[in-house]
Amino acid sequence: MNGTQQLHNGEVVTSNKAIAENKSFFYFIDKINTWLVNSLSSVKLTIVLLSLLAVMVLLGAWCPQIPQGGPGKVVEQFGPQTADYLIKMGIADIFHSLAFLLLISFITVNIIFGSFRHVFPKLKLLKSPMPWLRAEQINKMPVHYQFESSLSPADCENNLARTLKRLGYSVCINGSQLTAESGKFGRLAPTVTHIGLLTLLAGVILSSWTGFSGFKGVCPGETLSFLDAEHSQLWLGKLPNWTVRVNETHREDYPSGEAKQWYSNLSVLDRNGKVQKTQTISVNEPLSYNGVDVYQSSWGLKTLKIRFNNDAKQLSLQSMGKLFAAFLPLPQNAVIIFSIRDAQAPLRIFAKREDWSSPKLLSQVPLGGQTDLGGVSLIYEGTVAQTGLQYKCDPGLPIVYLAFIFIIGGISLAAVPHRQVWAQLKESPSGNNNNQLVTIGGTTKKGKISFARQIENIMEKLKND
Amino acid sequence: MTELTISQVQMTFTNVSGISALLAFWAFVLGAIGKWKTKVYRVAEILILLGFVCLTAAIITRGIEANRFPLANLYESTLWFAWAIMGGYLLLVRRLGQNQLGWLAALFATMFFLYGSWLPGNQQVITPLVPALVSYWRQIHVPPLIISYALFCLSGLSSLVELWYAGHIRSLILAAVTIVLAGTAICLGTYTSIDTVWLQLLFVGSSIAGMFLAWRNLSHIATAKADQAKANVYDEISSKAISVGLPLLTFGIITGGLWANHAWGTYWSWDPKESMALVTWISYAAYIHLRVHHELSAERLSLVSIIGLILTLLTYLGFNSLGFGGLHSYGRFK
Repeated sequence: MNGTQQLHNGEVVTSNKAIAENKSFFYFIDKINTWLVNSLSSVKLTIVLLSLLAVMVLLGAWCPQIPQGGPGKVVEQFGPQTADYLIKMGIADIFHSLAFLLLISFITVNIIFGSFRHVFPKLKLLKSPMPWLRAEQINKMPVHYQFESSLSPADCENNLARTLKRLGYSVCINGSQLTAESGKFGRLAPTVTHIGLLTLLAGVILSSWTGFSGFKGVCPGETLSFLDAEHSQLWLGKLPNWTVRVNETHREDYPSGEAKQWYSNLSVLDRNGKVQKTQTISVNEPLSYNGVDVYQSSWGLKTLKIRFNNDAKQLSLQSMGKLFAAFLPLPQNAVIIFSIRDAQAPLRIFAKREDWSSPKLLSQVPLGGQTDLGGVSLIYEGTVAQTGLQYKCDPGLPIVYLAFIFIIGGISLAAVPHRQVWAQLKESPSGNNNNQLVTIGGTTKKGKISFARQIENIMEKLKND
Repeated sequence: MTELTISQVQMTFTNVSGISALLAFWAFVLGAIGKWKTKVYRVAEILILLGFVCLTAAIITRGIEANRFPLANLYESTLWFAWAIMGGYLLLVRRLGQNQLGWLAALFATMFFLYGSWLPGNQQVITPLVPALVSYWRQIHVPPLIISYALFCLSGLSSLVELWYAGHIRSLILAAVTIVLAGTAICLGTYTSIDTVWLQLLFVGSSIAGMFLAWRNLSHIATAKADQAKANVYDEISSKAISVGLPLLTFGIITGGLWANHAWGTYWSWDPKESMALVTWISYAAYIHLRVHHELSAERLSLVSIIGLILTLLTYLGFNSLGFGGLHSYGRFK
């Protein structure tokens, strides 16, 4: 008879064999479950995953990443062949690769299992009081001493308690027995750190699923719109319909001519064009409005305005280190180079031919000035500046900041050593009724040698008292 | 005239500090091999203390001269690093009464004085800050990082002494040679124009091969020279330096994220320096897990600490000298 048998009243009866099979099935499932939980929460797995993460992050630090510098940066550093290989292998964008995302997912699983299996259960230990130990048990501690004291039992115990309290221990006395503990909250370190890491993951996921960000170079008089922002497919809200107008932008220099700060005066406009807020931003001083932050990210001169024989012309400027330059190609492989340091500085005009080793300075024109270039009149009318505005909306940020607090707190707590001390006083077996036999011992997981020295000092002090 | 005087005062303090560190090194060496051990060690400690006090004065006068917080370029960071090495030794190590680390700490501090003084002129002069650095976040973010790097170096040096007392002489030699080769790659990258690809290969190749061989040779013990009690003391110093350094590194990385978010709207952008600081953090997080869960012996843990030291050197100096780019290129030479 196999399996189950249905009686007339519909009740199901299971045979002994079926019960045994079921038992072995559940036993098997239980075994797999235990193995899976043990494996996923294992510290060895943590070390392997952290090592893999370290290797991948190192690769990402070594190879320029496409999202930061574009593929050109990879080619510039490694040459076209190696760059092509690195791009195909995914190393040039390793932090968005499937392998990296899988690794992060695996680490998340490991942290969750490790936290619930090894870390959080230890919180119970915080509540449990230290047990009272007898002299024989204290003598089995990693650090222990036994000595005779000529003080009365009360004086001896009080002296010991006072010394321990001065060293930061909380002391409990029960008749002739004493327990003392310090750095109890140091035991919270792994719990707080793991809560921080899990909170960080939650914040990062929330940010990547619901936030948006972007960058745009904007000239004075133009507006910044958020409609072309980068955002996740899972994004659930609505991109703002308000815009930001750049009223003015300028650069402040040191006396040596180097950039000290960039400023942009911005106005927030609602969809009817009404000004809601006006603020001047600079690097490290962003504008915040309705959950969106706008940052002064970069600054430059975008356009050169000149006039050839009263014919207005605008040339694009390129950033060349501390200078900006525009190029005007001429026939016979020649080029006119316009170079300018800042909006107020004079315009320097060079000519360069292929067969010349270096450009030749043709003229230098102040702002609004005029010069003659081989019969052509050139008027320098000025430049148009462009401010680089970075913007972002990050709903997960408060959670990420909370996680930062947990992580810093948790890791700082890890530096606090948890120390436990036990002592018991007995009448001296030497027969001298005035003497006390003091047994003192303790344990710690961190700073064992400092702890041993501390207990030794306590013993010496009690002996001398 | 006044500015010149402040500059001269600052240079005098720096030079006295550097010479004190060098003399302390020789005093520690003499103490180990000569007579009057206790007295010579006392002199060496006084020299380290003198160097620390003078360097504190040098950093303060540098700040007065520059009219800003004096931690804005590589030269200034080497002064802070040497200051933290000497301060770390005085605070963490001296309390345990161990002098064997003294000569290594003094040597390391001296090497950083030399490294800083031989930097190209543009790295030493006081220059105006670029817009991104004009922020109060600079003094919150950078000092904890430099101090954590110094503590990690002290931890690695302590691990070398631990290997000596545990009788793992072969592993000690291999680990020491690895650190020297890594340092050589950094110095070549700083002072020569050798292609950084070769220097990266030298750094990474020697580190992987050296530490692998050191790990493999741990089974070889020169029992005649072993003193396990002293090895345990250096193990504790190493662990203590990490337990103080890791919160500082964490604080530095996180405040860097807060600064970046305040300045650019993103707290993490996988910039090479950020990534390498994260790798260093991961290596010490692994160390803590291995230590707490007793997964490795003290000797193997000492090698993990030395690997951490190499990663710290890569994060702190290798980044600039071995040709990495990114947002943190303020101290870059090439």
